[in-house]
Amino acid sequence: MAFVDVRGPAGYLWRLALELKGRVALGALFGSAWFMSLAFTPYLISQAVDRGLGDGRRETLLWWGAAVLLVGVAGAGLGIMRHRSMTKLRLAAALRTADLVMTHATKLGAALPRRVTAGEVVTIGIADVWTIGRAMNVGGLGVAAILTCVVVAVLLFQTSPVLAAVVLIGVPVLAMVVGPLLRRTQRAGLDYRQKQGELNARLVDVLGGLRVLNGLGGKPEHEARYGRESARLREQGYRVGGPASWIGALGEGLPVVFLGVVIWVAARMAASGEITAGQLIAVYGYTAMLGIPVNMLIFCGFDTAHGLVAARRVVDFLRLPLDKVDGEPAPDGPAVLFDPESGVSAEPGRLTALAGDRPADAVAVLDRLGAYGPTSATWGGRPLAGIAQPEIRSRILVAENDAALFTGPLREVVAGRDVPGPAAPTSGDGSRAGAAGNAGPRSGVPAGRDEPGDERVRRAIEIAVAHDVAADLGRTVEWGGRNLSGGQRQRVRLARAVHADPEMLLAVEPTSAVDAHTEAAIAERLTAARRGRGTVVATTSPVLLDRADVVHYLVGGRVRASGTHRELLGDEPGYRALVSWAFADDA
Amino acid sequence: MSAVLPMADQRTVGREALRLVGRDRGAVAAMIGINALAAVASLGGPWLLGRIIDEVAAGGGVAAVDRLAIAVLGCAVAQMVLSRYALFIAYRFGERTAARIREGFLQRALRLPAAVVERVPAGDLAARGTTDVNAIAATLRDILPNVFIAVVQMLFIGVAVVLLDPVLGVLGLLGLTGIWFITRYYLRRARDAYLTEGAANSRLAEELAATTEGARTVEAFGLRERRLDAGRRAIAETRRTRMATLRLRTVFFPLAESSYALPSVLVLVVGGLLYLDGHASLGTVGAAVLYLRQLVGPLDTILVYVEQIQSSSASFARVEGLGAVPAPPPATTRTPRDDRIEVVGVRYAYEEGLDVLDDVDLAIRPGERLAIVGLSGAGKSTLGRLLAGVDRPAAGEVTVGGVPIADLPPDQLRRQVVLVTQEHHVFRDTLRANLMVAAPDAKLRRALETVGATWADDLDRDLGEHPLGGAEAQQLALARVLLADPHTVILDEATALLDPTAARAAERALAAVLHERTVIAIAHRLQTAHDADRVVVMEAGRVIESGTHDDLVAAEGPYAALWASWHGERATFNS
Repeated sequence: MAFVDVRGPAGYLWRLALELKGRVALGALFGSAWFMSLAFTPYLISQAVDRGLGDGRRETLLWWGAAVLLVGVAGAGLGIMRHRSMTKLRLAAALRTADLVMTHATKLGAALPRRVTAGEVVTIGIADVWTIGRAMNVGGLGVAAILTCVVVAVLLFQTSPVLAAVVLIGVPVLAMVVGPLLRRTQRAGLDYRQKQGELNARLVDVLGGLRVLNGLGGKPEHEARYGRESARLREQGYRVGGPASWIGALGEGLPVVFLGVVIWVAARMAASGEITAGQLIAVYGYTAMLGIPVNMLIFCGFDTAHGLVAARRVVDFLRLPLDKVDGEPAPDGPAVLFDPESGVSAEPGRLTALAGDRPADAVAVLDRLGAYGPTSATWGGRPLAGIAQPEIRSRILVAENDAALFTGPLREVVAGRDVPGPAAPTSGDGSRAGAAGNAGPRSGVPAGRDEPGDERVRRAIEIAVAHDVAADLGRTVEWGGRNLSGGQRQRVRLARAVHADPEMLLAVEPTSAVDAHTEAAIAERLTAARRGRGTVVATTSPVLLDRADVVHYLVGGRVRASGTHRELLGDEPGYRALVSWAFADDA
Repeated sequence: MSAVLPMADQRTVGREALRLVGRDRGAVAAMIGINALAAVASLGGPWLLGRIIDEVAAGGGVAAVDRLAIAVLGCAVAQMVLSRYALFIAYRFGERTAARIREGFLQRALRLPAAVVERVPAGDLAARGTTDVNAIAATLRDILPNVFIAVVQMLFIGVAVVLLDPVLGVLGLLGLTGIWFITRYYLRRARDAYLTEGAANSRLAEELAATTEGARTVEAFGLRERRLDAGRRAIAETRRTRMATLRLRTVFFPLAESSYALPSVLVLVVGGLLYLDGHASLGTVGAAVLYLRQLVGPLDTILVYVEQIQSSSASFARVEGLGAVPAPPPATTRTPRDDRIEVVGVRYAYEEGLDVLDDVDLAIRPGERLAIVGLSGAGKSTLGRLLAGVDRPAAGEVTVGGVPIADLPPDQLRRQVVLVTQEHHVFRDTLRANLMVAAPDAKLRRALETVGATWADDLDRDLGEHPLGGAEAQQLALARVLLADPHTVILDEATALLDPTAARAAERALAAVLHERTVIAIAHRLQTAHDADRVVVMEAGRVIESGTHDDLVAAEGPYAALWASWHGERATFNS
């Protein structure tokens, strides 16, 4: 990748422009040509007035008319070529940045959320890539605008050096007056937008509480309150409106006043015979037209300033270092996982359950056993921290309760892993019978190398009792399972974990959001499906605990007692209290 | 289970827009007047320039030119000052109108029937109230004034050029008519193309956010390639949609720009011929050409913004769409004669032909503790919503004391039935306001104490700035129920998402709230069923079993089978 050595925001933009130099050059070329056509039109009109009407011949007039039309049409053609080449340049810069960020995001893996918030990356995706795209404007349009100013100056100079001097001094002064004014409008708007954001939050708050309001009343109070806050925003808007309208009027009006001054000077020269009437019109045209490149230069300045801020965020993100993934080889076959910090061990081929008095403790144990974050756990006696990460990930799966669900058809969401993982050891084949004995086409084949067939997906869905999600595997699951209920989301996650069929499955509270009927069915099917494979569940549900080969009862993050559910119920009063809390306190 | 909110049709949008303008007639009239003056001033420049040219051509002296040039400057300054006031008034008009629109939106949202609120996607309502309302406000404030000024300017330039020379003026304006057709062609196609482009943009951002937030899942399940693939597809889609809109512009822009040149050329040639024949002065022809070139500015403004105006009118249609939701039938004035809840022959379907509830009959005795159990999708929660008056059955009746529950106004309803779910919305407001009742502080404090809310010492605490934790929010929800004081409470998996430690505290609070009330519990844990006076087992929208726990276990039906899967639990419970 060309951008691995990202230096800084300016360096990033510069390299981007270099990579796209063909497009930049094309944009500058068409931009300049378009400006020329803009400048040429008033010149041509003045010539048409002077010469076409000057010699009194109709034929000459018609020729000049045709020429003006031709230049107009050519200008339109050049205009669109400029727009096309600049749009493509901006798009290429934006999408190239998006691609780099995306690629880097997938490489960072589990370390990513620790290092950067999703909000920052979303800002990059929504706004920054496009801002960076616009920063390319200065390369194409900026160059063209400067070129145009120079050419107009030369044309004016030929008409009259004095006029050229007036215009050339006036334009930068104008830019320096109008530029800061525009910036001030932007800032005033910013303050208003913040207040608007607060009002939006209030609206979303009331809308979110509509159910409460429908059930318990209280609507008039909320309506009155929103009305008051809306009125406050309106007053704030009025306050912004005063100066903003001045700024708007000055921004538009000052160039017109300047134009008036130039005309005055030119008219005096025309009256004293220094320039012709046609030249007077041309001066008017040039000066009026100059507003466009000057405006463009001002906006190119803004674009570049904003682009640098955006590029700073992108560069910071691209600089995030990758996790170390190489290391020692893993045990050849299924082996015991042991977490010395808590004393939890999980044997291959057995169903282990963790019941913690604080649910977070059991989750932390699973994270250590799965080598997420710092860990002192061992796998077959070898420290997990030293084992090559891809080996661990392909054989040990930590199924979180809030694991992400990505947009896609149900089939794809459940089938999950689609890339051939690193070759899993073949010695484990005997125990790798597929989910619920459905070996199907995959026996003897390392995880994920086969085409995930629908049959296997359906099987996983059945085990997770997620049949109510959809009969059609093509049903789209939205990001985060937004179009599913809480219980359905949980069961789809479970189906995905079941489908992955890892050598060791570490599942966090897999049935916390399902009803008793469903939970019983899941417990039965899951234990059958995982028979012969190692499974650890963190749970306080008696239904699941009762099916475990061994239950570790955690107090304060350490194993207090181990045994079967029944044994612990009898021996550990704390355990009994933990797992048998009732819904209503009638006892 | 979700429905989509309607959009307002074109006619409604137009009518509503006119109504909003009508409410501010004075401001609009002032805007038109001042803009007109500004437009006159802006036209003075070229006209005076024409006079200057004539003066120069006639060999007039510098003094005459000076007078005219000062007038040019005067026009420019006048235009600037007048535009400022026009903008100022327009800005205030936009701000006022935006406030009216957003306040009207909330009013309508508050009047939506409860059943609609349940079923519309949560994001849709919020998106209309924020994104769409903001888009309209921005258009009203920043775009409409400019477009308005541009329209007035165009009108005046048109009039001026006709007054200057009727033949040339009409000719020049006719030269512009092509733009109308070109713009129509473009707008017809642009809307969909830009909507698609916007959707592709959101998708790109979403894919990036999903990959980032789900980074751990990506690693755990080895989804790297697939995520990258999804991301690249989103990028390709973004490129495709952007190129599609670019193609549209590639047709539109050159045609529109070429049309700008046409009137100038026509006037130049025809005016030139008239001049050669002695029918027009050189100054008139020059000024007419300049006027027509001056049209380019306002025309450009309009064409640049016309798209945004179109998309804001789509936003407006979405906001006004709330008005198209049928209003709920007026609340009943009847008072329930007693506390008895009855469900008779109830059917309910979210989609035509797919009955979620199928002929359900149920009578609930006051003071009874009823547990409803069944698999997910059996219709338990739907029945709960009907019992809580959130929705109405498609057929049959759900009544309390002989009055349909859903017909009761909120103030009445809260005294009858309250539904408690896992969702406890906490308003960004004071604790006092969050208790949803106007009562003396002592009473509020007593309620909070009863549910074990030991943290709640300050009733003025702003829960927006100091948000509550999950367990605290639940205590708040229970205190609301206590203060509403209904005779019946429906619990729909109210504590299912809490961890065991918090749940135990919640149980105690719940027991205090449920004391001496009718309880309908949609059961998550079977212990609830065990402790209930009566258990109702549901399957596929029907009640398939009903009786006490012991009776149902003895009957060895579906409930008994389920209970058996919990074997071993019972002994420990009763110990």
